[in-house]
Amino acid sequence: MALTWRAVVLAALGLPVVLVVPAAGTVLLWTLLVVVACVADVALAASPRQVAIRREVPASVRLTDPATSTLTLTNQGGRRLRALVRDAWPPSTGAQTDRHRVDVRPGDGIRVRTVLVPARRGDAQADRVTIRTLGPLQLAGRQASLTVPGRLRVLPEFASRRHLPSRLARLRELDGRASVQVRGPGTEFDSLREYVIGDDVRAIDWRATARRSDVVVRTWRPERDRRVLIVLDTGRTSAVRVLDAPRIDASIEAALLLAALATKAGDRVELLVFDRRVRGRVAGATGAGVMAPFADTLALAEPELVETDWPGIVAQIRQRLSQRALVVLLTALDPSAVEQGLLGVAGQLTERHQVVLASVSDPEVDALRTARTGAAAVFDAAAAERVGLERAAVSVRLRQRGAEVVDALPDDLAPRLADTYIALKAAGRL
Amino acid sequence: MSTPVVTVHEAVVGDGTSTRSRSARRWRRARWWLGLLALVVVAALLSALPEPQTSTLTLAPDNPGDLGARAAAQILEREGVDVRYVRHIADVEALAGPGATVLVVGDYLLVDEQVDALDDTGADLVLVDAGWALGMLSPSLASSGDSSAELEVRSAECEDPDAVVAGAITASGSMLATGPGAIVCFPAPGTTTDRGGAYAVAESDGRRIVALADTAPLTNEHLDEQGNAALVLRALGRHERLVWYIPSLDDVGAGGESEPAPGQLLPPVVPILALQLLLVVVVAALWRGRRLGRLVTEKLPVVVRAGETTRGRGRLYRRGRSYGHAAASLRAGTAARSAGRLGLPRSAAAPLVIDAIARAAGRRPADVEALLYGPPPTDDRGLAQLARDLDHLESEVHRT
Repeated sequence: MALTWRAVVLAALGLPVVLVVPAAGTVLLWTLLVVVACVADVALAASPRQVAIRREVPASVRLTDPATSTLTLTNQGGRRLRALVRDAWPPSTGAQTDRHRVDVRPGDGIRVRTVLVPARRGDAQADRVTIRTLGPLQLAGRQASLTVPGRLRVLPEFASRRHLPSRLARLRELDGRASVQVRGPGTEFDSLREYVIGDDVRAIDWRATARRSDVVVRTWRPERDRRVLIVLDTGRTSAVRVLDAPRIDASIEAALLLAALATKAGDRVELLVFDRRVRGRVAGATGAGVMAPFADTLALAEPELVETDWPGIVAQIRQRLSQRALVVLLTALDPSAVEQGLLGVAGQLTERHQVVLASVSDPEVDALRTARTGAAAVFDAAAAERVGLERAAVSVRLRQRGAEVVDALPDDLAPRLADTYIALKAAGRL
Repeated sequence: MSTPVVTVHEAVVGDGTSTRSRSARRWRRARWWLGLLALVVVAALLSALPEPQTSTLTLAPDNPGDLGARAAAQILEREGVDVRYVRHIADVEALAGPGATVLVVGDYLLVDEQVDALDDTGADLVLVDAGWALGMLSPSLASSGDSSAELEVRSAECEDPDAVVAGAITASGSMLATGPGAIVCFPAPGTTTDRGGAYAVAESDGRRIVALADTAPLTNEHLDEQGNAALVLRALGRHERLVWYIPSLDDVGAGGESEPAPGQLLPPVVPILALQLLLVVVVAALWRGRRLGRLVTEKLPVVVRAGETTRGRGRLYRRGRSYGHAAASLRAGTAARSAGRLGLPRSAAAPLVIDAIARAAGRRPADVEALLYGPPPTDDRGLAQLARDLDHLESEVHRT
């Protein structure tokens, strides 16, 4: 049962009638008229439960890309279906217009499309489909909310992919495949070739030169088939908002860029999402097949308000990795949290693996540090200065234990981490 | 990018409910409230039933208490007297005329105009406890002003037939006959009617005025004592109609000269129109009140900004007036950045840092030392000044 504005107008039409015949009975009669008209309209309205609803929705969509949820409504009743249909989705899916007016004859069908522009990562579950059918007078109608399942997985935006071409170019330079000659990068023996002027004389392979009449040099290439394990910390420190997004979002961007880059570089990339237990993992994927499970797993990574279990992470890493690998910890360089958690186990990690800790720093702290307007601002600046010093001190302690530390603003973290990866590769430290 | 995979879900028809199951569910959900509503309605109806209305007003014909007079009124009605209970003089004027009896109980709330109006009705009057009005209405009777509160049994001691029939009554007070044609009965024991009595009758201008000095004979409590009932019923039941008038406070003036109430100034169509407007409002509320499906909720990400902890620490510094801490932080920050810029290790000793910065900034080492390692400031101004000086120093180091 639902009324429309027409019912209000009908009730209001009684006002002039009452002016002409001013009696309580007139009001009573008019009320009766309104009630009878509405009840008759409801009785004559098509049943919203005799509509077959079929939903089509993309399985996944990248954040900020539009997706379309299509409802196919088939009128299975015997009455003409005049209805208002609402395809309800959570607010963050950014449904543009989720209300549709339809007019379907018995046996016919119609499609209504709701365009979604999601603004938040993760699984969006469709809520109910509400159908409000109207009677022939359109005074009143019947309404039902029906559960029509639908799920839209919103993948991370991967805005950092714009950094990928430039990093890949640098990777190819390392590889010796680029036209530009670079001096002896990498440590893995690749091939022998003729000496050209400009080559490092130290690269001349004298034994091969002795066998042939030409001077022959060895070329090197960066190691391949190294293992890279990206550990995404979803503990409490990842939930904090930096600029306008949770810290974990910047970490996810960095993880995606690193995964894409490392895959192109021929390394095997794995992912572990962890706080106190494993929230997600990607392992065993190679080549072009890596990115899809990565995006899928990272889409569902949500911060949990628990303290991260660092010994647990170390145990997981030890279980996964038998040989030396690059372990990238995407976490927060929060002095107290690191001191109580990571510092205690960093040594165990670094003695077997190359460890890189990537953390999102807060631009707001920098802004606070340079503010000088009034006494309160100077105190805030002192606090910001102190926080910066503590972060620096903790970074130093991590570096002393052999870990690399990348501390960057949200937008810079992904390229900075990629650069660190390339630098480690060039130095043959993987 | 490849074409997106589209998930097609099974068609859904209805929600598995029927009209019967829905109404059953609604009934289950609403029955307690409906029961409560029914209870309230029944209680309201019960309280509003036209059950014999009673009041607690002294000498009112609907007061069954000791001080009421329901007994007398009911007996009179049973005997065929049309008893009309009124509180306003306008009603008295409308109901009373020659051939009717008007009972006036008390005269404290009466004014001259009302007494005149009573006089003009031409009806027989029975005045109870109304000495002042009696004086105005009948020239031959007056209240003696003697207000002894003692109830006592008095005998008639006069020739009035009603009094003779009654024989004796329980009463107090007294009235005096001041002119001819007046009979005074029931004097105080041991005195004669010349000294006044509780009951007086006077005929003037063809109408009969009966006065009772005391209300006691009329009350439910004393009606059955002695000859009270006989006297009262004879006095009140003389005519077919009895107008039982108890003056009230809101009875302003006689003859409807009062100002009309605000509601009466409006045209009569207004309340009806308001009723119709109420219908419109109710329908509009029902129209707007029905939501098109429920609200959709979702979890929101954390809204606390990372900088909040830093700000909190700043507030703590300020509240604790920790100028020393704050200054040390600012100095350490400046020193660390400057040293980093000049290529000194973090672990470099203080003299080394001072020396390097002084050379880079072109300042005297003593000044730099005072700035970086001097005594802490002791107030807001000192801290702000220190911050500015440190900024200066740092910018100078930057330039080289």
